[in-house]
Amino acid sequence: MSLLQRDREIILSNEYVDNFDFAEAEDFVKNASKDLFISHKFKTNKGKTLVQPRGGFPTYEKMYALYDQFTSGDVDVLPMTIDSHTRLNDYGSAAKMLRLSEETETDQLNGYPLVNHGYRITRKMITHFNTPVSLRHGTPDARLLVELAIASGAFEIEGGPITYILPYSKNFPQDKAFLYWKHVERVTAKYSELNEPINRESFGPLTATLVPPCITIVIQIAEMLLSLEEGVKSFSVSFSQTGSINQDLVTSKVLRKSAKKYAQKIGCGDAMINLVYHQWMGAFPRDKHKSDSLINTGAMIAGLVGADKIITKTRAEAFGIPTKEDNSQAVSNVKYTLNMLQGIPNFVDEEEEENLTRQVDEIFEAIFNDKADTLWRKVFNSIKNGIIDVPFSPHIINNNELITVRDDFKNIRIYKKGKLPLSEKSFKYEQSKLNLGANPNSVVNQIIKDIGVML
Amino acid sequence: MKVVTGVVGNDIHVVANRLIDISLQSRGFEVFNLGVNTYLEEFIDAVVETDADVLLISSLNGEAEGWCRELYRFKDQDNLKNVIFVIGGNLSVGEGDESQIVPKFKEYGFDLVFHQSDLLEGLDTLEAFVKEDK
Repeated sequence: MSLLQRDREIILSNEYVDNFDFAEAEDFVKNASKDLFISHKFKTNKGKTLVQPRGGFPTYEKMYALYDQFTSGDVDVLPMTIDSHTRLNDYGSAAKMLRLSEETETDQLNGYPLVNHGYRITRKMITHFNTPVSLRHGTPDARLLVELAIASGAFEIEGGPITYILPYSKNFPQDKAFLYWKHVERVTAKYSELNEPINRESFGPLTATLVPPCITIVIQIAEMLLSLEEGVKSFSVSFSQTGSINQDLVTSKVLRKSAKKYAQKIGCGDAMINLVYHQWMGAFPRDKHKSDSLINTGAMIAGLVGADKIITKTRAEAFGIPTKEDNSQAVSNVKYTLNMLQGIPNFVDEEEEENLTRQVDEIFEAIFNDKADTLWRKVFNSIKNGIIDVPFSPHIINNNELITVRDDFKNIRIYKKGKLPLSEKSFKYEQSKLNLGANPNSVVNQIIKDIGVML
Repeated sequence: MKVVTGVVGNDIHVVANRLIDISLQSRGFEVFNLGVNTYLEEFIDAVVETDADVLLISSLNGEAEGWCRELYRFKDQDNLKNVIFVIGGNLSVGEGDESQIVPKFKEYGFDLVFHQSDLLEGLDTLEAFVKEDK
């Protein structure tokens, strides 16, 4: 028996898992309908932007009703958002809260506790709707969850060792996360050989708070490379609306081009790379009409950048978890807007693209030059020593020296570069766009204003 | 001048914490930022280890009272006699009355208490207090 298989058996012998049957799960994936694979939909749906809302409820009934509403409303990809206890591998608390939700008919969990429901019944639901399902979670150690998701028929797995740690956790060990996700990549790669590939997606928004595009792109590509080197064949890089339309256009171009370039560099140029766009992930206005406008603008930008998939928000964002009706309305708005955006000319800003590409290359040069023997260790060391620095990360490993603000056109610019290995040319370019006074208070006031840019 | 800062209790609101860090640094303080989700014992340990002059605790989710009401016990220790204790942020769950909140936290042992005040004005007050204290 291989080491991987031995690890899988240990992980799946968890007391909360009811008799996992490896051979049966493989058989299921091998014979599963192509309609369940988003990777297949990406291939056959060329040029069109798939629409995916957000959502997850504790009970089977409410989850079923959500999917029912979504599929009758033209949703292309169904979300399966997992509750926070499961994300922390606390299946006992999830079980208790699921029981309470069922008994009292109230939502006592903020998502679907997949481990407690189990893969047999969840598979019934997914195969019934016969639409791709995307697993959305935030789990540092997702080795068990991902096995059950794939066995259920959820053939897209979001997350990664950096994007699910730095924005979400104060002290989950970053090195452990790399190893746990390496296992996930291997399992995903193994299943990908049986039918259409299982798609992996990275979480580009990060903290969604003034993250400069060079950091987003570097982290997206780093997670992609760590996935492809384990044999994953379909991968989605993503980013969220920055607040500047031009910066979104530039980011999408450089992200696509650089992702391809670096995949080829490690000998994985055969993998399919997709682009996902998240509508505004920062604070939403409390005025629902303004929210509608923000959502429509996001849809328009997704069309302009030619995103393969858009993940939507709703007008209820400022007020809590949206109802399934809020969600359906947002999806129908987004679809309507996307439909108008056909045959749009290609916008080019050579100067910005050149600058961003150079920044990404400079950071990757420093990562690849790290003395460690494997890619994950190089990336790990680069986070530790501040070569990768995520603004507003709560994690103790993050360097926190990078400071960003918006320029007059709302582009996110680097004000203090911390230990980012940017050349003088790159850094000067950023500085040339800013005109902040010498008063240090003005920077803090500017940051406060820039975070709340959509309010 | 050394400052230990962080967000007390089970509170993950990182944005204000980073802004406090940046503001203190730009005013010339040496900052030891313990970040979010920090317990009172950890704050006190850090003050002792770094020999800090100021402890600045912040809270956004309003649960600070439960986490901080025992400050006076630590304060009585010899090596903390000259430390300035500051707390700020949103200091009550739901709407709170500032005229009650401020004296209450002063009783717990804080020298300066800021409830829903402007960050930069609060730091101005701290700087003035530090000068007077000398």
